[in-house]
Amino acid sequence: MADIAFLLIIFFMLTAVFTSTQGLQFAFPKDDPTQLDIQPEEAIHIKVVGEEQILVDKSPMTLESMEGYVVMKMGQNPNKPVIIQTLPDVPYYAMIDVLDVLKGLQVTNISIPTEADVERWKAFGVFE
Amino acid sequence: MKRPKIATLAPKIPTASMADIAFLLIIFFMLTTSFSPEKTSVTLPQSEIRTELSKDAAIIAISLDGTLSFTDGEQPAFPLATYSDIGPLVEGMVAIVPQKEFLIKADRGVRYEMVDSVLEQLRNSGARRIGLLTDRRVVREI
Repeated sequence: MADIAFLLIIFFMLTAVFTSTQGLQFAFPKDDPTQLDIQPEEAIHIKVVGEEQILVDKSPMTLESMEGYVVMKMGQNPNKPVIIQTLPDVPYYAMIDVLDVLKGLQVTNISIPTEADVERWKAFGVFE
Repeated sequence: MKRPKIATLAPKIPTASMADIAFLLIIFFMLTTSFSPEKTSVTLPQSEIRTELSKDAAIIAISLDGTLSFTDGEQPAFPLATYSDIGPLVEGMVAIVPQKEFLIKADRGVRYEMVDSVLEQLRNSGARRIGLLTDRRVVREI
């Protein structure tokens, strides 16, 4: 009896993959193409151009200086939207690093446009 | 005066409760084991901020070599050939559960383009809640 019990214990211990379902969460905006939720000229525009290479409102910054810049801007307007644009060739983690910093700063209004969005927004003059 | 002889007892470990303990542990592991239907091996990116995402969310995995796999959170994961396969699957699930959460389990080194394509498919299919799975960052890399 105890043998069987221990066999089962060992089985469950070995198969117990402590699955992690933790991460960063975000929601897409309501799909309404006629209305841009984000006022582009007011947003902080972060462009991830490479590993550890980011342009914040067109000036190159490190993650630390970006943090300071965003804190300063959020102090002026706590609901300021932040747009994270990532170039296609950049590794995924570079964008996660940026998103992580913003989440850490409790930025609520984060927008992650897809390439198709960027193309569409170009028509509105948001990106050049 | 004659001292009474002290009986020497052989040491014994009581094993009567052994099976009880064993079954307690079995029950513990049975209850805590959650079989994840998504078994793709990826190196997740790391983040300091991690929120608990829903356990029954659908998972889209992107491995380093660019292969895609999809699970609705219950059925075993199956591979997808192209990004456009995601759309109809997601649409079907959103029609039933509008607040369904979709998790992206992408390797930290994949090109962002792939994640972008998946996000585009999700958005166009009516998905609202998205999660990006990450590992805990222990020490911040500078």
